[in-house]
Parts: sequence; C-alpha cells; structure tokens
Amino acid sequence: MDVSTGRLRWLRVPTVIVGCGLVLAACGGSSTSNSNMAPNDKQILRTNSGTEPNSFDPGQQTYDYEGLVGRNVFEPLLKPTTDLKDVTGAAASSYDVSSDGLTYTFHLRQNAKWSDGQPVVAKDWVYGFQRLLDPSLAAGYVDPYFDTEIAGAQNYGNVDPKDTTAVKTFINGLGLSAPDDHTFQIKLATPAGYFKWAVTLWVATPIRKDIVDKKGYSTWASNPTDVIGNGMFKISEETPKDHVTLVPNPNYWGDKPHIQKWINYFISDTNQAFSKYQTGELDVLNVPLASQDAVTNDPKLKAEQHKYPSLNTFWLAMNLQKAPFNNVHVREAVSRAIDRNTLVNQVAKGQYTAVQSFIPKGMNGYTPSLGSVQDYDPAKGKAALQASGLPVSAYDTVKLLTRNTTTNLLLNQYFVNQINTNLGLHWTLDTKDSKTVTGTYLRKGNFQIYGSDGWGADYPDEQDWFDIFTTGGCHGTNWGCPNDKSYDDLVAKGDSALKQSDRQSYYDQAAALMENQYWVAFLYNRTEVDLVKPYVQGISDTGIDEGIYLPGDFHTNTIFIANH
Amino acid sequence: MAVAKGAPARGALLSIRLPRSRGANLALYIARRILWMIPVLLFVITLTFLLMHLAPGSPWDRGGGRQLSATIVQNLNTKYGLDKPLPQQFELYIWNVAHFDFGLSYQYENQTVTHILLESWGPTFTIGVLAFALIVPFGIGIGVIAALRQNTWVDFLAVGFSTFGASVPNFVIGILLIIVFSVEAYHLTGGNVFLPPGGFGLDFHVVLPVIALATLPIAYIARLTRSSTLDVLRQDYVRTAWAKGLRERLVVMRHVLKNSLIPVVTALGPTFAFLITGSVIIETVFAIPGIGRSFVVAVSSRDYPMILATTILYSVLIAVANLIVDLLYTVIDPRVRLS
Amino acid sequence: MAVAAPTTLEQIDWENPEQIGLWRDAWQRFRRNPIAVIGLFMVITITLLAILARIVFAFHLPFLQDYLTQDPANSDLGFFSKGHILGSDYLGRDILSRLLYGAGISLTIGVLTQFIYLAIGAGVGLTAGYFGGRVDNLLMRLVDVWYAFPDLLFLLVVVSVFGASLLTIFVSIGLIYWVDLARLIRGQVLSIKEKEFVEGARAAGSSPLKIILRHLVPNALGPVIVSLTFGIPRAIFLEATLSFLGAGIVPPTPSWGVMIQQGYESIFAHPEEVLTPAIAIAITMLSFSFIGDGLRDSLDPRMRR
Repeated sequence: MDVSTGRLRWLRVPTVIVGCGLVLAACGGSSTSNSNMAPNDKQILRTNSGTEPNSFDPGQQTYDYEGLVGRNVFEPLLKPTTDLKDVTGAAASSYDVSSDGLTYTFHLRQNAKWSDGQPVVAKDWVYGFQRLLDPSLAAGYVDPYFDTEIAGAQNYGNVDPKDTTAVKTFINGLGLSAPDDHTFQIKLATPAGYFKWAVTLWVATPIRKDIVDKKGYSTWASNPTDVIGNGMFKISEETPKDHVTLVPNPNYWGDKPHIQKWINYFISDTNQAFSKYQTGELDVLNVPLASQDAVTNDPKLKAEQHKYPSLNTFWLAMNLQKAPFNNVHVREAVSRAIDRNTLVNQVAKGQYTAVQSFIPKGMNGYTPSLGSVQDYDPAKGKAALQASGLPVSAYDTVKLLTRNTTTNLLLNQYFVNQINTNLGLHWTLDTKDSKTVTGTYLRKGNFQIYGSDGWGADYPDEQDWFDIFTTGGCHGTNWGCPNDKSYDDLVAKGDSALKQSDRQSYYDQAAALMENQYWVAFLYNRTEVDLVKPYVQGISDTGIDEGIYLPGDFHTNTIFIANH
Repeated sequence: MAVAKGAPARGALLSIRLPRSRGANLALYIARRILWMIPVLLFVITLTFLLMHLAPGSPWDRGGGRQLSATIVQNLNTKYGLDKPLPQQFELYIWNVAHFDFGLSYQYENQTVTHILLESWGPTFTIGVLAFALIVPFGIGIGVIAALRQNTWVDFLAVGFSTFGASVPNFVIGILLIIVFSVEAYHLTGGNVFLPPGGFGLDFHVVLPVIALATLPIAYIARLTRSSTLDVLRQDYVRTAWAKGLRERLVVMRHVLKNSLIPVVTALGPTFAFLITGSVIIETVFAIPGIGRSFVVAVSSRDYPMILATTILYSVLIAVANLIVDLLYTVIDPRVRLS
Repeated sequence: MAVAAPTTLEQIDWENPEQIGLWRDAWQRFRRNPIAVIGLFMVITITLLAILARIVFAFHLPFLQDYLTQDPANSDLGFFSKGHILGSDYLGRDILSRLLYGAGISLTIGVLTQFIYLAIGAGVGLTAGYFGGRVDNLLMRLVDVWYAFPDLLFLLVVVSVFGASLLTIFVSIGLIYWVDLARLIRGQVLSIKEKEFVEGARAAGSSPLKIILRHLVPNALGPVIVSLTFGIPRAIFLEATLSFLGAGIVPPTPSWGVMIQQGYESIFAHPEEVLTPAIAIAITMLSFSFIGDGLRDSLDPRMRR
C-alpha cells in the first residue's frame, strides 16, 4: 500500500524522467533536456540531514546522516540499480569475477578525475581500502570487509594498532593490488557471492594519499572544503553545526547533476525543520512519527508526501540464554500477543507496515510465504504459555528494556500494554538511556527482552541480514544469542555458494528456522515518509536511500528543480 | 546580600601583609581570587572526571543498528588513550588542561574540543549578551517605576509580572512563546506569518529565545530593585530632596537610583550564572547550536572530553563573573573595602 | 546559582529576640495576605487532587491505552472529546488523569528533596557554626567550591551516571542545593553564640550544644521554613527540566516534565498536549511562590509595606 502511494506520486513527474527511472542503466543521463526544468540559477536543492556528519572522511563514517558525503562527494566502484536487483557500473565501468569466485577485477573509468582535476588511478583505490582496514585508524564500518572477505584481512583483530611495523605488514599483506592505472584487483579469502554489493558501500572509496600525507592521517578531512572526492558533487562550503553546500564536480567523468547548488542543513529539531519546510526554506523534509499528524491533517502537506518502502525490519529481541525466553513457548506467546495492525495504523499513524518475517519486501530473496507462524492470535498466545510448562510467576513480571528516545518509548509502551492486555500478565517498561542500554545491558546479555531492535539493509543482499544472527554476532549484532549451529551452517553455505538459487534456498531454510523458533518477534517495517515540494522532480528512490535527507540519493543526477 | 557566590568570605589562602595602598590591595585581591580558582577547578575536574568514568555505557556504543566490533572498540580505546589505567588518564588530562589542550572529541571524530567549543560559542554568547542587554534596563526600570508608583496599578502589574516570571520555568515560558508566536500564529495566518520556533540566526530567530532566557532574571532584578528602591525612598536624604522641591527626575537620578542599585549589582553575579545554566535549557528548547546544547548531546553520547571542557569553561565563566561583580561593587559603594 | 528563590532572606534581621507570640502573629499576618492564602488554597487543592487521583484511578486510568475511541487519521484527541476532558495522548491515554498522577510525582519530589536539603544543610551549618575555627573554615571552603559548580551541568552528569529514577533525582537535587541552607544555619549559630544570654547559660553550666539547639530552633525556624518553601518549587522545576532534557523520570510514569517533553515533539500537530502540563507546572510553582512570599512577609514584621 505504501509502495503504491510512493509510486503514484512519482508517476506524476514528466514521462521522460519516469522512463529513465525505470531503466536507468540504459537511459543514463540523457534526460537533460526538459522544457519544464528551471534555469541553472534556480537549480538549488535544500535538504536537511538532521545532524552534522561526525566525519567528512568516508572511511570514518558510519551513520545514515553522513551518507551524502560518501554517496555524492565520493563514488564507490559499483552502485545498485534503481530496482536493486543488481549492481551497475559507477567508478568502475565493469568488473570480472574469476571462476573460483576469489578474484574481483574492477575496470576503472579511463576519464575519471578527482574534483581538483587529477586523474583517479588504481593506486588511489588500493590506498583507500588499505587505510580503511588500518587497525590504527579504527574505522567504524570495517566489518563488511574484514571478517571473512578480503584476503589477509582476517588478521585484523590480532594486529596491535600501536605496533607500526605489524600494522604495515598487515596492510601490505592485504589482497589489494593495482596491476595498472585503470585496474583494481581484490583477492578474497573465500568465495562471497555478495561481494559486489559490499563495494557499493559509501566507506569503500578511493583516497588521495598526497592529501592525507599533507593534512594528517586521521584528520585530513577535518576541514570539509579540503575534501577532494571522485563523486559528482564537491563540497564548496561548510558552516559547522549549520549546513554544508555541495556543487557539481566539474571534473566528474559522467553526466553532471542538474542541481547546481545542494545545501544540506543540520537541523536536528523536528519542529524547526518543519517550520522551515513550511516557509519554503527547505525543499525536502523527513517526517518523524511525532510530526505525522501535522502532515496528515493538512491537505496541502498531505499531497506533498513522498512515501517509499525502506529495507528494514524491526522486532522484539528476546534473550534465549535466560529464563523465561529460553522457552520457545514463551517466545511464541510474545509474538502472538502483539496486534501489529493497530500498531501500524494507529500508534505509528500509518508510517509503518506490519511484518512477521525477517527479510522485508523489496530485498533480493524476499519470500512472501514465510512468516505466517508469527500471526497475531491472543488465544494461541495464551495456549503457548500453558504449553510452556512454566509457572505463571516465571513470565508474569518481565521487564521490557528500551531506549529513552521518543519513538522507542512510544512503541514499547504499546508493546507492554498489548502483552499485559492480551496475555493477562504484569510486564513493565525498563527505560534507560541509549548508551546504558547498549553498554550495560545488551552487550553483556544482561536483559530479558528488548525492543525495538532492528536491521536496515546496507545493501539488498541477504548475506547482510542473515549474518547478524550467527553465533559470531552474539552480543555484537544480535542480542538474544540463539547460537544455533545448524543456522550457522545454513548461513555459511548461503554466503559462499556461487549460484544465486542455491544461496536462496539456504537462506530460506535459515529464515524458516528462526521464525519457527521465535528467536525474535517480528513486528514492523518502517516506511520512509518525506515531504517533497512539488517542484523537486526526477527522484528515483530505492529501498536503501537515506530518506532522512533525500529520497533518491543514490541517483542524484536525475533530480532537478522544475519551473515554479 | 552578602558577598556573591564563589567568593571566599575570608580567604586564608594568601595572608601576606602588603602596604595599604588601594592599588596594591586591589591587585592582591584579584590575584588571590584567581589563585582560589585553581583548587576550585581541580575539584570540579576531579569530580566530573570520576563521575563520567562511572557512567554506564561507553562512547563507542551505538543507539542501534550495527555495533562496532570488539576489535574496533579496543582500537578506538587505544587511539583515545582510554586503555590506560584511570589515574594515569587523569594525570594526563590535568597535564593537558594545564597546557590548554582539551583533547579530541569522541563524538565528532578527529575534531578538537577547543575547535567545537569555539564553533558553538557564537550563538551562546549572542543569546546571552542580548538577554543581558534586556535584563539590566528592563529589570531596573520595572523595579524603580513600581517602587515610585507603589500600590498603584502600575506597581500591581510589575509585581504580578515579577512573581510570574520568577516562578515559571524558563522552558515552559519558551514553549508557551512557541505555541503562541509560532504554532498558533502559523495556523491563524495559514503559514504566512510566524516566528521561527528554533534555530539560530541574527534575525527573528533570536527573538523568542532571548525573551525566554531573560524573563526570569528580569523578574528577579525587578523584584530586588523595587524593594531596595523602597528602602532608599524612606531615607532621610531623599525626603529632604523631595522637601527641597527638586523635580522628580532629578531626585530619582541623583539620589534614589544611585543608592538603590547597590544590592542590584551583587545580584548580577548569580544572574550571570543563571544565564549560563539557562542557556543549556533554552538552547535545547529552541534547538540553538550553542555550547549548552552540545553539552546535553555530549552527556548522552558520553563524549567525556567535551563534558569536562564545558564544565571547566562554565565554572571559569561563573568565577570570573563573580569577581567582576565584586570589583564593581567596590566601585559603586565606596563603603565596601576589599579585604 | 538558580535565582528562582529570592535572596532577600539575608536582608532580614532574623536575630530579633522578640519571639513571643511570633507564630500567632505570623499566622494572623499570613491570613490577611490574600495572595498567600490563594497560594495555600491552590497547593492544598493540588495535593488533595493528586491523592484523590491515586485512590480513584487506582493506578490504572493514566496508563490505559484506549484505541477503541480513536480515529486512526487523527488519533490524539483534543479537549472535551469522547469522555476525555483534556483529551487523550498519542497512545489514547486520558491526559487529565495523567496530569493528576504527575502532580503527585512533582509534589513528592518537591517535598522529599527538602528533607535532604535539611539533613545536609543543617548538618554542615550546625557543625561549622558550632565548632568554628578550622572546621568552619574547611566546611565553608567546601560550600564555596560547591557554589562554583555549574549546577545544571552537574545535575545532568550525575543523573546520567546513576540512572534516572525517582530516588536518584531527588537525592541528586538535594545533594546539590543544600549549600544555601548550610550558610543560613551557620549564620544563625554564629550570631546566637555571641548573645549575652548564651554566655550566661554557659556560665550557669548548661551544655553548649543544648543551648545552641534550644535557642537556635525558635530563631532559625522562620527563615528555614521560608527557605524550604522556596526549595519545593525549585525541586519541581529541576525535575521537570531534567525530564524535559531527556535525563529525568522515564515513561510510562507520567511526570509533568515527561509529558512536556513528549508533547513538545508534536507541538505543531497537538499543541494542547504540551500546553496542559506546562500550565500545570506554572500554576504549582506560582502557588508555592505565593506561600513563600507570604511566609517571609509574615515571619518578619519589618518586611511589611
């Protein structure tokens, strides 16, 4: 339903652009001539990412609000197609995989240039990846690369970051090489069918060694205007805590964006951002749950809503290592007790969709038949409690742990209420500040049940999802620690199988296992809701866009300002 | 009111007897007050440092999504020196602070705390100065007028205002202002005319936060001025002045105001301290990117260097403000002697 | 620090030995002060309503999530709709009952904090004043240092360290603001020590501590009561501020600060949800200020104008 809303709005934009959005790879940027397009001096886009990036160095970024640098000031090797079915060329025009699945060869664009005009060469890529994997940099998002994939990187955790020789040996031993200026080769330790997706991440960019050497290894990007990237935009100016301005990179190899000036503000206060959208100081605004009513009740704003499904799933995480949730029947009762329809329609004001399975719609490998075992059914929930064989006192006064953020409190007060009403129990909410929840409770496995836990896709491959529930992810990516050997095996097979259909079958089995065992109670999928002024057109959104500042941020060069 | 807060009543710190010239006295007094700040700051730093390290959760814990792996956490601890034993970290910190090095922020990777504080200083300073500029004339003006028109409707209004202003929390005032001038104005004018509910800019943006911040101190100063003016009005020399038939303005200016302001000056110290802590609240209500707001964010993200540096900065500001007020006091009231 | 409590306390000469009939006189004066009586009436009303709400709603209604009466498109109800006098919040909970429940929390924190003020403030003040000399000097230095702390910053750190619960909040507020009372009581002790009748009593062989207590209590009770009366709204204010900054009482407990903080997020959609608790805090704090002003005026006859 939400999907159709998003698409309907989108269909109203001129046909040329629609055609491009659907088959972008074929269409490229040939959509430049459009009679409706405003002149260049009006091509100004104003967005809000809510928070200033913690770092302008793509290697050191980890948060969604930092995406605009990694995705637009820099360009990764490959990028997802709009339908997210596959990857397409970005900084690399094409890539080959050796028959054993271990060597990836990326053919870099011949005419690729940095924003200062110097050519982008393969050694810049080697340096960017080496620096990312340098233990002394302690880059936050290194996980998708070092745990199994790049040859030599498995040692990451054993290198003492203070031992410069050891660090150097480690870096030079990585499977990264530049056979010539336009070929970048990565050797993997084991076959990984998803590796093409991993290199679409915004942290995986080339870095200029000469600039880093001059300005400082970890601090070279402290002054945002010093950042030289290979993406379609470059940073022209930054006012700390206020905004950053991007302008087209004149040296970009491909089609230049239509937007001539992209001002992204760092307004964290939702009321302030809301009023700025109203006064026309912002063109795009993410709508938080608390502001949804203000949008719904205003016909003009309601018409400017841009909804699109986002690849994420949220659930209640139960601690399988502790009573009472080491009992599968108690876990089933929890899942059965929560009415997801009231949740999404009333509590979440229509911003969410109900889910009962792990992989959300829109992901490669989404299997609609999964998830029915978690249906809302209080009677079955009560029966499950009976079947658990436990005395009522074992599960009557559970504490539901949650973070003290507005949305979490809103949702979890509802969950506790549902369980108490539908199962006749006496649960309470245990609210702690965010750092305490993670550090003192979750990481130490010191909790009974925690909500809302969830996952958002880094890329639309199921490996990114199933890996989090493996034994290795215990107290790191998953909190309940199911630690199930058969699940681990299925996921390992799925990760390394070369044929997509084989991978799919392994992952589906893994999904069925976790759903039947009620490892978690799947609850909802968050739909991105943005307000977009009618004159901002050409947005082609995907489920992994950072709607927090701009839907369609993966394909920014199709966005333009129409005459108004 | 006694000597303002932060002042040692009878300092035993420096009891060297020097020649009794006023200049030397003053210099000695200032030196002693500045020296006294050192143990105060040490105490502030020690307590804050200990508390912070008792705080649950680490700076590297995430609010959700992918957590940093144990290896990366360990590497980050190494990078920021958090792997060292606590006494050693403390020693290092004190040493660095003595050299005005407040370290790197944990939250904004690779930015120095000094850099962040300098960035956030502008909005905090602007709002504070504008509020102060309102407090002195309005506070004193309302107080004096109320006293001169005692028991009239003017007085009644002034007392009503100052009671309300001194009793209602400033964030409540801020929210009431937002509801009236932003939300309702927005709804009534169809979104055409309303004041910005937040953010910073040297335009309409400052109106609501400055009013919200200044209301309480204005009320407080008005109250104080009113009662001290009433005291002065009862003094013999004022009665004489009236009896001589001097014009009202002259009496007020020459006799009343000068003397009634003495207790008000001492109140400026606490007022300044209030503006500083008030900025934490007001900057949160109005989403102003100042120091107070970054402090609130730093506490929740366990950005230890940022928390420490802000606490130190605010302590120093309060101490310096009190010193200035005490010095001012001696200028206005020649009877007061520096000990 | 916070200037909410008018500091004219020090301007009053509390050492007036004319204590006979003081309390009856004070009450007479208080009764004749209409503003103070209104304040007292308001505080009693709020207290009774808070207690009544706990009995009548039996801890249930403030937490009842009523989805049946909600319209999904506009789920938070406005004033006077479907049996909710002040409307309902985003989870369909009755705002009036939450407001009254919150009154109980605010009053509890306000009053309990005063016991901590009193315990520490009196302890330090008595010790410093009684022993004098080096002990006095040391304790007063401590008081000075304590004053130098940016209070709200410290409070935020303390609460985030020890976790936000009713207990930590009132203990940490009490721990930070005892200094005013300590200074007040020390001053009283020092002045009494110098009085002739104390010298006389001492010469007659009475224990000095006994003398201090016997003479201190009637002398200091007035200013201490006034100080504590002003301490109550200050504690209520601090709790609400902490909750508003997200560091205070945690939901689902409906403290006023929590209600304001949550309502504030959707102020454009439902301004009334933040308006009601804001007005409740304002009225409560005003009422206590009225009482405080009234008490101060009536306990010091020379303050009357």
